[in-house]
Amino acid sequence: MAELTFTPVIGIEIHIRLKTDTKIFCSCSTNTDAPANSHICPVCMGLPGSLPRLNHNVVEKGMLAGLALNCTVQPRSLFFRKSYFYPDLPKGHQISQCDLPVVADGYIEVHDANGNLKKIRVNHLHLEEDAAAMHHSASDGRLEGAATSYVDYNRAGMPLGEIVSEPDISSSAEAVEYAMNLQRRVRYAGASDADLDKGMMRFDANVSLKCSDGRWGRKVEVKNMNSFRALERAIEFEIKRQKKILLAGGEVLQETRHWNDAKGVTTASRVKEFYRKFIVEPDLPPLIVNQEWIDKVTAMMPEMPDVKANRYVNDMQIPREVAEVLTDDKNLADYFEACVSAGANPLRAANWVRTEVLRVLNERGQKISEFTISPETLAGLVARVDEGKLSTTQGKEVFDYMCANNSSIDEAIKHLGITEGGIAGNALSEIIASVIAANPDVLEEIKSGKDKKGKKLKFLQGLVMKETKGQAKPQEVAEAVAEAVK
Amino acid sequence: MELYELNLHFLLEGLKAKKFSASEIFQSCKRRIDECEGNIHAFITRTDDKEPQTENADGILAGIPTVLKDNLCTKGIRTTAASKILGNWRPPYDATAWKYLREAGAVLMGKVNMDEFAMGNTCGNSAFGPTYNPNDITRVPGGSSGGSAAAVSAGYVPFALGSDTGGSIRQPASFCGVQGLKPTYGMVSRYGLISYGSSLDQIGPFARTVRDLQIIMSVIAKHDPMDSSCFREKNPDFSHKDKVSIKGKRVALVKEFQDFTLDAPIADAMTRTRKILEDEGAIIVEVSLPVVARYAVACYYALAMSEAHTNLERYDGVRYGYTVTDASGVKEMFERVRSYGFGSEVKSRIIAGTCLTEPSRCDEYYVAATKVRTLIAQEFTRAFGETDFILQPVTPSLPSKIGEVDDDEMKGYETDLYTLPVNLAGLPGLSFFTGYAGNLPVGLQLIGPRWSDPELLNAGLILEAHLGTPKIANGGKN
Amino acid sequence: MKLTSEEVNDIALESRLLLTEQELAGAVRYINNFLDMLDRFKELDLQNVEPFSFAEALECPLREDKVNDFSNIQAIFDESEHVDGQFFKVPRIMEE
Repeated sequence: MAELTFTPVIGIEIHIRLKTDTKIFCSCSTNTDAPANSHICPVCMGLPGSLPRLNHNVVEKGMLAGLALNCTVQPRSLFFRKSYFYPDLPKGHQISQCDLPVVADGYIEVHDANGNLKKIRVNHLHLEEDAAAMHHSASDGRLEGAATSYVDYNRAGMPLGEIVSEPDISSSAEAVEYAMNLQRRVRYAGASDADLDKGMMRFDANVSLKCSDGRWGRKVEVKNMNSFRALERAIEFEIKRQKKILLAGGEVLQETRHWNDAKGVTTASRVKEFYRKFIVEPDLPPLIVNQEWIDKVTAMMPEMPDVKANRYVNDMQIPREVAEVLTDDKNLADYFEACVSAGANPLRAANWVRTEVLRVLNERGQKISEFTISPETLAGLVARVDEGKLSTTQGKEVFDYMCANNSSIDEAIKHLGITEGGIAGNALSEIIASVIAANPDVLEEIKSGKDKKGKKLKFLQGLVMKETKGQAKPQEVAEAVAEAVK
Repeated sequence: MELYELNLHFLLEGLKAKKFSASEIFQSCKRRIDECEGNIHAFITRTDDKEPQTENADGILAGIPTVLKDNLCTKGIRTTAASKILGNWRPPYDATAWKYLREAGAVLMGKVNMDEFAMGNTCGNSAFGPTYNPNDITRVPGGSSGGSAAAVSAGYVPFALGSDTGGSIRQPASFCGVQGLKPTYGMVSRYGLISYGSSLDQIGPFARTVRDLQIIMSVIAKHDPMDSSCFREKNPDFSHKDKVSIKGKRVALVKEFQDFTLDAPIADAMTRTRKILEDEGAIIVEVSLPVVARYAVACYYALAMSEAHTNLERYDGVRYGYTVTDASGVKEMFERVRSYGFGSEVKSRIIAGTCLTEPSRCDEYYVAATKVRTLIAQEFTRAFGETDFILQPVTPSLPSKIGEVDDDEMKGYETDLYTLPVNLAGLPGLSFFTGYAGNLPVGLQLIGPRWSDPELLNAGLILEAHLGTPKIANGGKN
Repeated sequence: MKLTSEEVNDIALESRLLLTEQELAGAVRYINNFLDMLDRFKELDLQNVEPFSFAEALECPLREDKVNDFSNIQAIFDESEHVDGQFFKVPRIMEE
C-alpha cells in the first residue's frame, strides 16, 4: 500500500491596527502608552444612547492597506453587528464590515517549497473595531490566584483592518512569508505600524489537510498567535496533530482551537461559539467611496518593496540580496535613495548602508529614523572615498568617529589625523599588500634575488603609485614597498 | 385661569410682555404636578424639588418647564428607560435633543414614565408601575411615551419629548388628547436616545397645540454630527405663518384600510375631518397600500426585535446599571444581571430577536423582513406620487381599561397597523386632536412624504382651527 | 415548525437570560405565535428585492481624525461597581 501523503490547506486572517490618531467610531486618542482606561468615552464604552461615528482616516488607511495588497476599493460597503457576550466587548456586539468590505480581491506573493513565486490571494480587508484588552492578573501585578480579570477599554474601538486570505497557503514557511510580506507592504503604505510587540498585528489560521486517499479533513480555526514564530509553530503543531488523527483513521472536527504559546500546543476552545448571521448596523449608513477619493489614495501609494527591489537590481546594478535588505524597511530604502539623490554612487551607497549603517543601528538598537548621520552627509563621505580622497578604511574610521561623536566629516578627518588625499600608513600598506598579492611571480623573483637591478622592485612601486592615483609620497612608497618585499 | 393651563405660545407671549415670570410658571406647574401626580403617576424621577435656573434667559424657551421620556439621556440625572437593569444610572452626557432645549432655556421638571425600553403601547410595562390616563384614570395613557403624553395632557408642562419607534408618540398623544409629531427619520438627532429599534426610532414633541409643536421642532430639528443618520442639509423652516392653506392639496385615504373596523367615535372623526379638508379646498383621493396592510405589522416586529436584541446586548452589569458583585464567573454575572434586570416583555422580544437572526432562520425572517421593508417604502413612494398627505386613524379603538390585556400579544401588535408603517418608511406622522367621545379624546393621523414635516404641521394648523385644541385633562380630580 | 421549550430555552441562554418556568412557557407561546405571523412573508416573491437598510440613498458621514478626549471620564467610573484602581474588573476568566 502506498504511503499516505497530506497537503496542508491554510488560510490566514490577519488583524492589523490601522494607523490613526483617533479610534474608529469616536474621537478618543489611540495612544497606546497611556494609562489604562484613560481614553474612553460614551461611544467606546457602549453607554446607552451613544452612537458610532466613522473616522475618515480609518477608511483611508484601510484603502491604503488594501491597495498595498493589490486589492480593489469597493465603492459601497456596509457595517454589521457581530454579536457575542464577553466583557471585552462593551456593546455585546462588534461593529464590523464582515462580508461587505471596503477593499477586496487582491494577492501577494511568496516563495513555494521550490523557490518559485506563488500568489496567495487576498479575499478582502474589512474595517472593524477592536475589543478591550483583558488582563488576567491582579492590578498589583500578582499573576496567580487573582479572582478577577481586569478590563482596559483604551483598546476598545481601536481601528482594525482584518485581512482574509484564500486558502492558498501550503506550509508554515509560506504562511510566515505571507505574513512578513504583508507586514512590510502595509507598513510601506503607511496604513499600519504592524508592530507585533504592541499587539498591532495578530494572526488566526484556518488549517485543514487534504489526504492522498481523497479524504479532506475539516477546517480548524487556530486563534491567538501574536508573533511570526507563534504562527509558524501553531501551524506546524496543527498539521502534525491532524495528520496523526487522519493516519489513525479518525476524523478531524471542525472547531476553534487556541494556541498556547508557553506550552506550544493548540487546545480546543472551551467556549461554544455561536455563529450568528449579522444584522446591518442601523446606526451607520453605507460607506460610499467615490472615484475621486480612490484616485487620491492611489496617488498616495508609494512604490512597493518588490517593485523597488527590482528597480535597484535592474537600474542600479545592486545585487538582489542587498536590494532586498535595503527595501525591507521603507525608511531604510528612503535613506538609501536620499543618499543616491545627494550624488552618491548607488552601488557604493547601497553597500555602505547595507554594511556600515545597519551595523551601527544594530549595535545601538536604533531605527533608521533615529540615525544621526543624514543621508546627504553619508553621500558626501561615500563620494570622498569614491574619489579616492579617503581610502575605504579611512572612510570607515571617519564614519565610526562621526557616529560616536556626532561630528561632521571634516571634524572627524581632522581628529583622526587623516591627511585627505594623502594616502599613507594603513591605507598605503593595504594597497601595497594587494599589489604584491596580485603579483606573486614578481615577488618570487625579488625574493629569490634575481632582481639585481631592482627593476622588479620599481615595477611594484610603480603599480602602487598608480593604485594610489599619485596621492602617496613617492619616497614613502619606495621605502614601504622595499620593506614589504623583504 | 392658572398659568399651567396656558399653551406654550401664550406662555412665551406672556413672558415677553412680562405679564408673569418664569418663576411663576414653574411654581404653577409644580403645584399642578403635586396636585395630580398621586393619580397619574407620570414621573419616574422628579427634578423640580428646587427651581432650576434657566441656562439661557434670552433663549426662545427661557424658563419653560418640560419633561423628557426616561429614555433620553440627561447628564447627571438618573435615566432608566423604565427598566430595572439601568438601576440608578446617571449618564455622563445629555441627549442632543435635550441639549438643544436646554440651550434654548427650557427647564427640566423630571423624567417620565414609559414602557420598558419603549417596548409596549400602554405605558403599563414599566419597572416603575403604570401611568394612568389623565382624562380617565381607569384607562391607559398609551405607550410607550405615555408619561410624556400624560404630563402634557394633565397640564404638568406645556410640552414634552418622547420617542416613536412604531407609534410611541402618536398613540399616547391620541389617547391623552394632545398633539404629537413623529418627525421624519433623521430630522431629530437620536444621540442620547436609548435605542430600541435604531432604524425606526425617532424623537419628537408633544404639546397641546400644533403651533407649539412648530416651536419645539424649530429648536430640536437641527443637524447633529453625533448621529450619522441625521440630516445634513440646512435646518428646516418650522417658523409659524398666520396664513396657510391646503387648497388644491390631495389628501388620501388608504383603500385597504376601509374594510377594517374602527370604534364609532374614531370613524366619526374620520368623516368629520374629511369634511373639513374638503371645505378647505383639499381634494380627497384614495391610495392603495396592499403590502403595508398585510405585511407591515410582521415586518415591523421582525425588524424591531432583530435590532432591539443587539441594542440590549450591552446591558451586562460591568460598566453601569444594575449589577451583582458576588458572581463566580462572567457568564453567571451576565445571566443574573440580565435575568433580574429585564422585564418579561423585553425578555420575550430579546429571545424573538435572537431567534430571527440565528443563521438557520436569518434569511427566512430577518433578511425577508428587510426586503419587505423595501416593498413598503416603495409603496409609500408610489402613493406620495398620487397624494400630498394620507389621513388615517392612529388606533382602531379608544384607550382600553388598565389591566385589560389581551393574552395574545400578536393581536395587540395588530392594533399598531396604523402607526408602524410610518416608521418602516421613515415618514413623518402627526397625531392630532379631533374632539372628545365622552371624556375620552379622539385623535387621528396625518402622514406626509419624507421631510414634509413643516407642511404636515401647517396642515395640522388648519385642522386645529376647525377641530379646536384639547382642554387640560382633569388629572383624576373629579 | 413550532419551537420546543428546550429550543427556546437554548436561545434564551444564548442571550444570557435565565427564564423561570412561567417565563419560559410565556416565551414559547410568544415566539411561536410570532413566527406564525411572520410566515406571511412566504406569500411574497422576494427573490429580486434588495434588502432595505436606510430610508434613502444616505451616505455615511465621515469624522475628521482629530483627538477630542472625553472630558468626564470620572463620571463613567462613578457608575460602575466594578472599578479597581484604573481598571474595571470582572470575575476571573480562565484563558483559553
